[in-house]
Amino acid sequence: MNTKRKLFQTLSVTSVATASLLGAAFTTISGASSSTLAKGAPVKIGISLSLSGDFSADGQAFKQGYQLWANSVNAHGGLLGHKVVLDIVSDASDPTQVVTNYQKLISTDHVNLTFGPFSSLLSLPSAKAVSRYGYALVEGAGGAPSVFQAGLNNIFDVSLPVANDLVPFSKWVTSLPMSSRPKTVAYVTSNDPFTEPQVTTIEPTLTKAGIKSVYNKVFPAEVTDFTPIADAVAAAKPDAVVLGSVDVPTVSAFMQAFEQSGFSPKVFIATGGPDQGSTFIQAVGAKNADGMMVPNAWYGGSANPLSKTMVAAYVKKYGGTPAGVSSDVAEAFSVGEVVAQAVKATGGFDNAKIIAYLHGKHTMQSVQGPVTFNKLGMNITPTAFTFQWQGAKFVQVNPVNDPNSVKVLYPKPAWGK
Amino acid sequence: MTGSVYALMATGLTLIFGVMDIINLAQGILVILGAYLSYALAVHLHIDLFVGLLITIPTMFIVGIVIERAFIGRLKGPEKTAMSILVTYAVSLLIEGALNIIFSTNDVQLQAWYVNKSFAIGSVHFGYIYVAGFILAVGLLSSLYFMLYRTRFGVSIRASLADQTSAALVGIDVRRVSTICFGIGVAVTAAGGMIYGATNSFNASTSYDLISRLLTIIVLGGMGSLGGAMLAGVGMVFVGDMVGVVWSPIWSSMSYFIVLTIVLLVRPQGLFGKPVVRVA
Amino acid sequence: MLQKKNLWWLVAVAAFAAFPLLITNPTYTSIGFFTLIYMACASSWNMFSGYSGYIALGSAVFYGTGAYAMSLISIHANMAPGAAMFWLVPVGGVVAMLIALPFGWIALRVRRHTFVVITIAVFFIFQLGASNFSFTGGTSGLALPFITWDASYYFVPFYFVALGIVIFIAILSAAVRRSRFGLQLLAIRDDEDRALGLGVKVTSVKIVGFTLSAFTVGMCGALYAMEQGQIYPQFVFTPVFDVSIALMTFLGGLGTLTGPLLGALILESSQQWLTISFSNGSLYLILFGALFLIVILFMPQGIVVYVRDRVNKKADLARVASAATSPGSDAVLSGSTPS
Repeated sequence: MNTKRKLFQTLSVTSVATASLLGAAFTTISGASSSTLAKGAPVKIGISLSLSGDFSADGQAFKQGYQLWANSVNAHGGLLGHKVVLDIVSDASDPTQVVTNYQKLISTDHVNLTFGPFSSLLSLPSAKAVSRYGYALVEGAGGAPSVFQAGLNNIFDVSLPVANDLVPFSKWVTSLPMSSRPKTVAYVTSNDPFTEPQVTTIEPTLTKAGIKSVYNKVFPAEVTDFTPIADAVAAAKPDAVVLGSVDVPTVSAFMQAFEQSGFSPKVFIATGGPDQGSTFIQAVGAKNADGMMVPNAWYGGSANPLSKTMVAAYVKKYGGTPAGVSSDVAEAFSVGEVVAQAVKATGGFDNAKIIAYLHGKHTMQSVQGPVTFNKLGMNITPTAFTFQWQGAKFVQVNPVNDPNSVKVLYPKPAWGK
Repeated sequence: MTGSVYALMATGLTLIFGVMDIINLAQGILVILGAYLSYALAVHLHIDLFVGLLITIPTMFIVGIVIERAFIGRLKGPEKTAMSILVTYAVSLLIEGALNIIFSTNDVQLQAWYVNKSFAIGSVHFGYIYVAGFILAVGLLSSLYFMLYRTRFGVSIRASLADQTSAALVGIDVRRVSTICFGIGVAVTAAGGMIYGATNSFNASTSYDLISRLLTIIVLGGMGSLGGAMLAGVGMVFVGDMVGVVWSPIWSSMSYFIVLTIVLLVRPQGLFGKPVVRVA
Repeated sequence: MLQKKNLWWLVAVAAFAAFPLLITNPTYTSIGFFTLIYMACASSWNMFSGYSGYIALGSAVFYGTGAYAMSLISIHANMAPGAAMFWLVPVGGVVAMLIALPFGWIALRVRRHTFVVITIAVFFIFQLGASNFSFTGGTSGLALPFITWDASYYFVPFYFVALGIVIFIAILSAAVRRSRFGLQLLAIRDDEDRALGLGVKVTSVKIVGFTLSAFTVGMCGALYAMEQGQIYPQFVFTPVFDVSIALMTFLGGLGTLTGPLLGALILESSQQWLTISFSNGSLYLILFGALFLIVILFMPQGIVVYVRDRVNKKADLARVASAATSPGSDAVLSGSTPS
């Protein structure tokens, strides 16, 4: 029992030590962020990406986007004359690891800036960890409402806030003449913070336009066998299908099950998957992709000159076609562009100044179009587009009045035709 | 019909457990490895998926034998089953890392002209690939049964399943039987993986979903019972699908686990397991 | 004879306490924090599963319950972000125990092999429930009051609370081990029917042990939630957690006192370190897998047992060599706990 007493003694010593340490810590100023760089020193950018695990496919695409950006900056003399070096660590899609990673990037590797990880799930914990160091976290894939509701002042999402993604699509559907408008619609969505808000946003609009909902179900994110759900949708024979999906496997499973049950909707839009370029085509086959729609802010065929340069660089480095470039690449690339403009405007790498600048209602240019942040860090300027696979091409179809939009392929051709 | 494919994959697992008391956590990643082999053959050598099985099944058999000889066979003692979980987990990490490097982490799906096609009998549609998968699974399972019940080697396997010590006493080379069993258990993943890869898109991390499903199947069926694994595989898919369609997909996996818990409380040895007889 | 051993424990505690004060880099403090969390959980898991032989793979239920208890209470009570939230850590532990009681009562009606599976099934039921009920925030999870301590010392208070939990569970494990109750658990592991025959109330002993082990895991879950400031159902109810703590215990030595602590220390710290040192995620998987394989194949009984056997052998040799001259070798022998 003498053991216990000794251990308790140690415990009390420990707590005294803690208290004194905390006192000391309060008086020291954290000086991790170095706002001035020696001449000729490289600028280090810390990034945690999911290079293995659930988000690994997107993580790799993000890595390509960040790297393309760094290469293009370095080819033009670097950032304020400093060469850009990316410090990328893998987080295996795990929020605990992401926190350790950003800690390490800032306090051990002494990176000057931090860029965001992939997905809203990881962006939020990362932003919290990074904010304690006073760093800005500019990210390209973390636009879920929950990210902005956290009320952090250091997170900035350069992409489109997800909730309104499907609005141009719903506008197009309701603009169709009554005779050819779809009569029925099925809503199926994964219960993911990224997909559910998009689908629920447009439901009232479509219902008001007289499009009857014949199937409306939410499926859990961890489902692997979609056949029964897809069969149930097919049995309801809706004219339009709105699928809330995050990835290619989900969309391809639904497409396959529809085809096998001899069901081909007139309109099929999926919130994520068809925008993954060649990955999507490889999974579903080019013929089946025909007519598939997806909302997004960017596509490989974008007329934006910045985007054209990036796509050309991508194709040169990794091969493939413009339509095959994943939107993840553009999202990552935009992060770099936005930060570069903030760095140039503030004349240095002081994160406090960068945060103030980004909150300053300035409009910056990116491959995804103009970027302006509101006080929550949400990008308020971008227009949502809808894209569609037509033949082997991935084209912009909504908003209808946009000069770059082509006519929607409607109704969607039958599978494999 | 999806159930029969799961049953096939689970049979390999249950055979390995039954004969060797080894829980092969690497079964999930081996299914994915099998799928990737078919993928490589189809994409680079333009070999049809089903023809490719003639190559992938023997390859996976050898992979299984190598894993058994290199790692599993070294395990001994009372904690063997627990240790096997650790060892096979480590093996699956190794394979996952290697697959990520070789094939990248992009999701792929096996393609062939018949993959998305179906035929209709009345108003019910049947996908060719599911029917073919079903026939393949039934074919492989019945040849496995034939081997187990009609051949000399089958007798030694069944003897080892029943009681390893006695089998060794009557002169069965349990060591060799174990190695071959492991090989067979792994070889069936080539077929399971091919069908899985043609009906789902996958990458290396898909293996986590697979292994958790397979483990529940073999438990529900009674660890080490071949017929049980088959029925549980079909049953699992059925329960999940029914709840998904009738009620809501959200609750389908949960209802499956609730059914599993109840079954185990009523019949702790699983549906078809032998009651645990107290020895010594 | 006992004092020498206690001295080692004290040295270890002092070393852990000094660690964040000497190495002030927050990266290492955070790695230290996560390592301590796993040490506490592995040790707690071992206190039931290691002693009784009932391998449970559903401890994440307690971890997640603790995390959700911390989150829901702090959110709904509108707590000010800060040190006051530490009071919810034991509350998380108690809530986990409240869950463990009926869970154990159901799951422990069956014997070992089936028990493992029921724990897995119950785990999935909890995970799916947390992802799908609205009060848990669904898959968006829950955001806790955001603690704005400066990054340079943010992890330090968490580190010391975690260290406190580790000391608590180490003492508890040792106490259980020496108690009548602990002997009953060990008797169940060795031969449950005989224990029953000898008058051990096996069912209640098992349920009490199971519930007791939930307390520490629940506290760790609550502490983790507070530190992260954001929880998601699939990451607090994670099968990786279940497998990890079991692996750590096996690696260190199942059923021993120091085994789970050592296993968690080695595995968690090396895993975190390997991950941040190798930017290539796949290479890291291969390295980690290989390392793991080597340890298991060479030390199948766990590190503690392996080292103890070596030490004992040496001590035996020494004793044979100098028969009466060195009484000290006895201390080494009796100092090691039989498993």
